[in-house]
Amino acid sequence: MRRFRKGITNHKFNHILKSKSTLLQEDKDLLFTADIEQNEAYFKEAFVDCYDVVYRRIDIHSNLQWLVVYIDSLIDKKTLEEYILKPLQKSEGGEAANELVSIGTMTSSDNVSETIAKLFQGHAVILTEGCSEVMTVCIPGLSKRSIEEPSSEPVIRGPKEGFIEQLSTNLGLIRARLKTSKFKTECMVIGEYSQTQVVITYLKGIVDDKVVDQVRARLQSIQVDGILDSGYIEEFIEDQPYSPFPQVHSTERPDVVAAELLEGKVAILVDTSPYVLIVPMTFWSGMQSSEDFYIRWPIATFVRWIRFLFVHFAIFAPALYVAITTFHQEMIPTNLVLSIAGSREAVPFPAMVEALLMEVIFEALVEAGIRIPKQIGPTIGIVGGLVIGQAAVQAGLISAPVVIIVSITGISTFTTPRYSLRNGIRLLRFPVLFLAGTLGLYGIVLGFLGIMLHVTSLRSFGTLYFSPVSPLKMSAFKDVFIRVPIRLKLLFKTTPDQEGGNR
Amino acid sequence: MRTLKCVLLLLVVITMSGCWDRMEINDLAFVTGTAIDLTDDGKLYCTLQLAVPGSKEGGSSGGGGGHKGTFYVISATGTSGTELHQALQKKSSRKLFFSHRSVVFISERLARQGIQEALLDVFTHDPRNRLKTYLVLVKGGDAKDILELKYPLKQVPIEVVNEMQKSGDDVTVTLRDFYIINQSEGKHAALGAVELGDRLKESQEQLFQSAGTGVFDGDLKLTGMLDEKETLRLVWLMNKLRFGRVTANMPKDYGEIGLILNQASSTIKTIIDDDTVRFKILLEGKGMIEENNTTLDINNPNQLKIIKQGMEDTIKQQVEQLLLKLQKKYKSDCVGFGQEIYKNNPAMWNRIKGQWDTQYQEVTTSVQVNLTINGAGMVHSTLEIRK
Repeated sequence: MRRFRKGITNHKFNHILKSKSTLLQEDKDLLFTADIEQNEAYFKEAFVDCYDVVYRRIDIHSNLQWLVVYIDSLIDKKTLEEYILKPLQKSEGGEAANELVSIGTMTSSDNVSETIAKLFQGHAVILTEGCSEVMTVCIPGLSKRSIEEPSSEPVIRGPKEGFIEQLSTNLGLIRARLKTSKFKTECMVIGEYSQTQVVITYLKGIVDDKVVDQVRARLQSIQVDGILDSGYIEEFIEDQPYSPFPQVHSTERPDVVAAELLEGKVAILVDTSPYVLIVPMTFWSGMQSSEDFYIRWPIATFVRWIRFLFVHFAIFAPALYVAITTFHQEMIPTNLVLSIAGSREAVPFPAMVEALLMEVIFEALVEAGIRIPKQIGPTIGIVGGLVIGQAAVQAGLISAPVVIIVSITGISTFTTPRYSLRNGIRLLRFPVLFLAGTLGLYGIVLGFLGIMLHVTSLRSFGTLYFSPVSPLKMSAFKDVFIRVPIRLKLLFKTTPDQEGGNR
Repeated sequence: MRTLKCVLLLLVVITMSGCWDRMEINDLAFVTGTAIDLTDDGKLYCTLQLAVPGSKEGGSSGGGGGHKGTFYVISATGTSGTELHQALQKKSSRKLFFSHRSVVFISERLARQGIQEALLDVFTHDPRNRLKTYLVLVKGGDAKDILELKYPLKQVPIEVVNEMQKSGDDVTVTLRDFYIINQSEGKHAALGAVELGDRLKESQEQLFQSAGTGVFDGDLKLTGMLDEKETLRLVWLMNKLRFGRVTANMPKDYGEIGLILNQASSTIKTIIDDDTVRFKILLEGKGMIEENNTTLDINNPNQLKIIKQGMEDTIKQQVEQLLLKLQKKYKSDCVGFGQEIYKNNPAMWNRIKGQWDTQYQEVTTSVQVNLTINGAGMVHSTLEIRK
């Protein structure tokens, strides 16, 4: 039985947002009149003190015939001049505007707020004298970034395209991979001020309709003044917002989205964000890189196991070092214990403080590495590497084994392919380290049990986070522990499973 | 309220259990070896060897220096383990840490007096004592000398462990083995022995060498020492021989043959007729001829038979002599004949248990040796100087 968390309905925030609501919202019932001057006044009233709104009057025989309203920065000027202004000016009058304008996307409406909303999506509004029906023409011309390789998920083999900040381009990138009418795109607008377009996509027939309904319901209940990145949406629709583990998969890669859609998941595209959200997410999809499916399966399986191994290192390596050297010295081989003791001889701090110190410094280095301008990046690398790796050991502040352990941990963290899952793992290291420093191996076991209890009880849109490993399903051996050759994968294809399994 | 209760319960888990014995690694003194001697007034003299943790400076200076200052030795006199431990701890600024002790040396003098009270109790109670610690006799001299010895390689205890582990034909007994022998029916202990060896020229360094086996009687008193050759036979009898070298003179003045044993096993068959017990011992071995100083040609099956027969006869004779020595002279049942009776006929063992120590001396044994010689093609016949 699938269980869903109730949608987020924040009734208590409603009144706050209501008080902020704009003219557009309030005048939902206002309609255009036949008087063009009056209609212009509506716009002028709505856009008081907005210098980028342009009103272009077109007279025929010195009578005002047409008024073209647009936002200067959002439209493509060349198209406007060539295909709208030119034909309108050349006309002799008597024709309707839609007979003259040769642009693909056109709408017409007599509702003021609807028309104003269109303006923000790169439409030009054409008002006609003596007509209460207002025409809008879509000529978006917002500058956009070119399609680049996604910086957060690089691969060696596989497509190098990444999403950009423009929704229509992103949709196109997915469409290029799924050329079927079963690929559905439902649009909705979220954000009182930002009016951000959010598109729910899925493959009809493969997807579980319950999940789509749930996504729709959770998105509709979002009430916020602005959406600046899909991260906002992610936080709103998560099942368990207080968990360190992400329950919504976010990716910059169109091939990942296509692959997940083929597996019956739902993707949420958000305008102005290059990150596409995919639900439901499992822990194991967080451990998979898209490259796993593009390289040969034996090495892909091996690399996957390396990741599983190093996830444990990333959480437990410093904790194990501290626990064993301060509580269980008898577990270390004699020669090793003597050399560790020797290197700790000059160190003034207890092992736990030492490890904590180094971990914090390492995290600071990582953070600085992200924020630092590219020109001085190498400097930080050298200074950080030298100071921590060499000087601190030689000065006797830190012992060499701790430096080794922290380096291994740092490397291990970055073997996790998904950025958001990686962040959760980075954070878990510290409580486990603290437990190890106070309770020894017993503490590590407690920490491990705690993490396992949490992870196995997490759900993402009705799917257990740890499925198909817990509860164990045969499909776990197909796509978690090993990456079976793709031709075999199709042989064993199973239908979507109602009991929590992801396929 | 519910969450508060949960938090309190969790706190109980954390505070009531777990290991509150946090100890920084550099606050410990790692004991690598212990030596127990007997003083003239009958007290125990205990010596500990403590490792000086390999420091960074030592590593980077590298080159010479070597073992200088890698260990130091503290000792104390006392009558019981507790007293000794207390006295030794007083002499050490850091907490003595016994988990990494690899060897306990016992002097021959103490062993002859009996090691019952000196050893058994102290080592059984503390869980930090490793049961994998080797028990080794020091033949002649004091056990502490061997800990103080400057060895050209690492510390002596670590090297003794190496010696014990690589060896295939020495008696190697750990604390665990010793306790098992001691607690089981009808078996006496035997411990491997080392002694001080040659002094290296122009330096203070000295070597040690393995020196056969010491066998104990039922009261855990050392009754005699076996030499290296006898030790190999004893280990074979105990069915613990992994590999070894045997040489034998061939009959009719053919010369000498050297054999490497790769596999060896022994089977002891207990034959009980009414009230008398007999043992039939079958020693089996597989080996390669390593050295052939005879005129016999190994490639000739008939001559190989002569070699095989000659080897078997020699080994048989040596084992019989050894058994006689153990029975009559040392009165030590370290092969475990008593245990064989216990396994085969527990009722009978219960009857004769009391008199076994005397009966053992009179027990008849018959030895049969069965050798398989492989790899003859590797050796051929002896190189002959052309005339």
